[in-house]
This record gives sequence, C-alpha cells and structure tokens, in this order.
Amino acid sequence: MTLLAVNDVSKRFGGVNALAGVSFGVDEGDVLGIIGPNGAGKTTLLNCISGLYRPDGGDIRWEAASISGMAPYRIARLGIGRTFQIVRPFPSMTVRENTATGALFGRPHGRLQPAAALAEADEVLGLVGLGEKRDYPVLRLTVPDRKRLEVARALAMRPRLLLLDEVMAGLNDVEVEQALQMIRRVRDRGVTIVLIEHVMKVIVGICNRALVLNFGRTLVEGPPSEVLKDKRVIEAYLGRRYAQDQQPPPRSHPEGAGT
Amino acid sequence: MSAPGRRQPNWRRRITVSVVALALAFVVLAPLTSLDAAQQAGLPLLTDKLWFRLATTVAMFVVLASGWNIIGGLTGYASFGNVAFFGLGAYTVGVLVANRGWPFPLALLAAPLVAAVFALIVGLPLLRLRGHYFAVATLGVGVAVGEVVNNIGPLGASTGLFLPIVRSDIAFFYLMLGAAVLAVVTTWIILRTRFGYGLLAIRENEEAAAVIGVNTTFYKVAAFCVAAALTGLAGGIFAQWNSFINQENVFAISDNVQMILMAVVGGAGTVLGPVAGAIALELIIQTLAGGGSGAVYSQIGLGVLLAACVIFIPRGVIDFFGGRSRLSLRYFRQTLRETSV
Repeated sequence: MTLLAVNDVSKRFGGVNALAGVSFGVDEGDVLGIIGPNGAGKTTLLNCISGLYRPDGGDIRWEAASISGMAPYRIARLGIGRTFQIVRPFPSMTVRENTATGALFGRPHGRLQPAAALAEADEVLGLVGLGEKRDYPVLRLTVPDRKRLEVARALAMRPRLLLLDEVMAGLNDVEVEQALQMIRRVRDRGVTIVLIEHVMKVIVGICNRALVLNFGRTLVEGPPSEVLKDKRVIEAYLGRRYAQDQQPPPRSHPEGAGT
Repeated sequence: MSAPGRRQPNWRRRITVSVVALALAFVVLAPLTSLDAAQQAGLPLLTDKLWFRLATTVAMFVVLASGWNIIGGLTGYASFGNVAFFGLGAYTVGVLVANRGWPFPLALLAAPLVAAVFALIVGLPLLRLRGHYFAVATLGVGVAVGEVVNNIGPLGASTGLFLPIVRSDIAFFYLMLGAAVLAVVTTWIILRTRFGYGLLAIRENEEAAAVIGVNTTFYKVAAFCVAAALTGLAGGIFAQWNSFINQENVFAISDNVQMILMAVVGGAGTVLGPVAGAIALELIIQTLAGGGSGAVYSQIGLGVLLAACVIFIPRGVIDFFGGRSRLSLRYFRQTLRETSV
C-alpha cells in the first residue's frame, strides 16, 4: 500500500531549480535510499516532505490526502519523523529529555505527560544504543552518539515513516556498521524508511529500492544493485569520460564521490 | 530541566535554606508590625514608608523580570516591548477607575486580559521574526504604544491620568507580593509541563521543534500572552499604587531594559533567576542612586555590572552559585579539590 506519494514536486530558490519535478512513491515497509551528487536536491526534497519548505509545484500525498504546504508540526503528527543531516539537538536538555520531546509532541493520538514521555524515551534509547548515556548532557556526546540521538528523538514520535538525512556521514567503518544494525532494528519494528546516503554500502546493504536524484530530477529508480550499475548514475557521479572508460565500474568508487 | 541532585553537604544546604526562609519570613511578616493592633500590643515597628516603597518596587520587578523570562528566557525571544504590556495594564486600570468609576479590584482583573489580548494581536505577526529583528520590532511596539496613548485625549494625553488616592502601603505591598508569587509559580508550573518542554525546544532549535510536532506558532504566542498578562497585572497594581500614570512612568523603555537585565543577571530560563536578579539589581540601583550626583554613578555601575555578568557568568547568578556548568562556583571548587594533591 502506498504510504507516501510524491508527484512532480518542484522547488525554486531564486533562479535555482532545486527540485524540478520529482516523482516517486513509498510503500509501507519500504526502505528507500535516495542518492545523488551534492546539490542534487535530496535535502530540499526531505524539507518539502516534512513541511519546512512549501513546494512551488506538484503534490505530496500521505495515504492519498495531500500534505503539501501543511505546517511541519501537523505533518509530524501524521506519523512522519525526520532527522537532520547537521544534528539539531536541544543543548540544555539531557539525552533522555531530548528523546522525550519526540514522544511528548509527535504522537498522532493522545497526549503524553512528561513522566510518561520520559519512560518512553528510555525504551527508545535502548533501541538506538544510548541507554547508558541517557542522563548525559547533549554536549558530552560524540558525533555518532549525537546522530543516534537524532534518530531516537524521531523514533520516540512512533512514526510510520522515518526520513533519515545522512545519518552515516562522518562515521567510521565500525560506526557505520553499528548504525546499519540500528536502522535494521527500526525497520523490523515496522517503520517505513526513506534515507539519504552517500555511503553506498548502506544503500546496498539495507535498501530495497534506490532513487537517484540529479539536478533536481529523478535520474534512475529501481533495485539498488541495478541502479548503482546504471551508466547515467556513474556519469552523474564521476563524469561522462569515466563512465565510458570503465564498464562495468568498480563498486567501491562511488562511495568516495559524495563526501 | 533543572539540575537534579545537587550534592552539597547537608549542613551547608540546611544553613542556606534557613537563611533564605528567615529573610523571606521577615519580608512577608515585617509589614504586619505597622498595623494598629500590633502597635497597640507594643511590637517594634520594623517598617517605614521607604521600606514599603522599596519592597513593593522589588516585588513589582520580580513580576516584570519573571514575565520577561517566560518569553525571553524560556522561549528565547528577547522582547523589548514588554513595557507596553505594563503600560496597557496600568492604563486599563487608570481609565476604568478614573474615568469609568469602576472599583479597583474589578478594574485590576481587566488589566492582564487587555495586555494578553494585545500580545495575541501583535504576537501573531511579530513572533515570525527572530533574533535582532524580533527585538527591534518589539522595541518599536513599546515606543509606539506609549506615543499613541500620549496623544489620546480621553486617556489624559500628555498630562496623564489621576486615580483616587488609596493610602494603604501594606495592601499594595501584599498585592504586589501576591503577583510576584503568582509569576514565580507560573514559571515553575510551565517548566514542569509539556508546554515548558515545547518552549525550551523552540528556544534551542525552532525547526527541530516543528518537525517533532511542536505547534511553534501557538506555543510562542501563548508564552507571549502569559508574559503579557503577568506584566499587565503588575502595571494595573502600579497604576492604583502610584495613583498617577503617564507615558513617562508606565511606558519607559528603561524599565524594559531593567527587567531584561534582572532576568539575565539572575539567570534567564530558570525559575528563581529573575527573582534573584530583581532583588539584587533593585537594591543596588536604589543604593547607588542614593544622593544627587550619585545617580550618574549608578548608571555607570550598572553598566559595569552587566558587562561583568555577561562575560563571567553568562548563565546568571543562580547558575553561578548552584549550577552544574563549568562557570559555576561549585565546579570551580570541585576542580580545585580534584587538582590539588
């Protein structure tokens, strides 16, 4: 069943067409990976879905009802959680309180009071592996932990769809592996996931579908392994000449391209 | 949100609490010695006119600083227009009592309402602005409302409004004290509810707050209205207490600056910071402004104090003495202990 349908969405900033008609659908249970060179419009797309930007054209539908132009907090309460590429914790709160805010405000039905939200936070923090650091002030957390916290806060909303904006960026190999396991655990709880990622290992390792954006347009869409072999994708990342020289391409190359 | 489990030695904590409790008890009970019954019973008179004037002013600034703290400290929107709420509250009571002949208690109920409604009207557009833009826009509102009032005939124009004089130092002291307690309790309650979490989230990252489901517009406007209601209440009491109001004494931007200083010096975003700031600063101001040429030095002294506070204890006096941050006295002593052999 289609959870989210993005239909010909466009967004302009002055003379720049950040999104020039992007369309795709996300089915319940999907893990959709969005890749593309820097400036392709990936984060802009996420901002349009979560309501921080109002699309200039096209339509975004959640379970068949249009949500384009809706206030971010209402979209959040429909069950769409997100993280930010550059983490945005609430610095004066502890890890636990940060997470609890998601449970306090993001629930579609019924209001939680602070005590219940804090209890809920404990459970989510266990899931992302921050259980022992729950009483830390945010400023004491390392970068990977801050990324986990970002996911935890979104998860505490009990979202049906989770939008992850480069949660792996800046992590080393071991940390990427841990983060992958975390995302698998989230998926196994029945959360549909859309993730933006430059680390191709993640796209191949967890996504059942991949979407390539380039210059604000959908370039290719399909199963990850096929998408990564696509000539147009290699052109977009590494240039036309490289694509002509190298057929088929070594799989590890696109990995470094986006960082 | 507040620092849990401070590990001060028990006896030191007990002494601090007793001293504060004693001081509070004195302030609350001292005025009673001025009652006729107490005088006839031969109790010593612990207060005089000056004492009442000072204590009531301090209580008033506790309300103003706490009110500002709700929008400026908790929500992170530094308002320079809160004095407009004070003035509107004062003029509401002024007009209703002086022109309409309402009894003061009834008029006083209207003061916070008028201020809150005004906050709702200006808050909806202004709270879309952030940082300096919000500060400047609210400053404009503060000045503009005063100027408008100053030019309306029925409001006394530039002459001002005279209210029937009520001579009861003790009543106004307790009234203002009650407002101060209300302001502190309101802040305390806010910080313990969902609403408070929402305000802090907005202060610390508004977009992040929005995408986790905080209705940011509603929360900001609500905080602005609560701040306005408290400030308007203080203004209403002031009008009857002073029995004369005009643009200069109820729409003074310097009062707005003063409430911000008090909240910031004491500790913005905390429950007791604005209280500590209001008491300390008002006493300092009164002392420094003691005689003639001293007034000039009081301004200089205040400026130096503010600069020192912002540089050395940016989180306020409250944090300095009791907090967990690296800038607190406790942290300093702790590191001293740990590093000395």
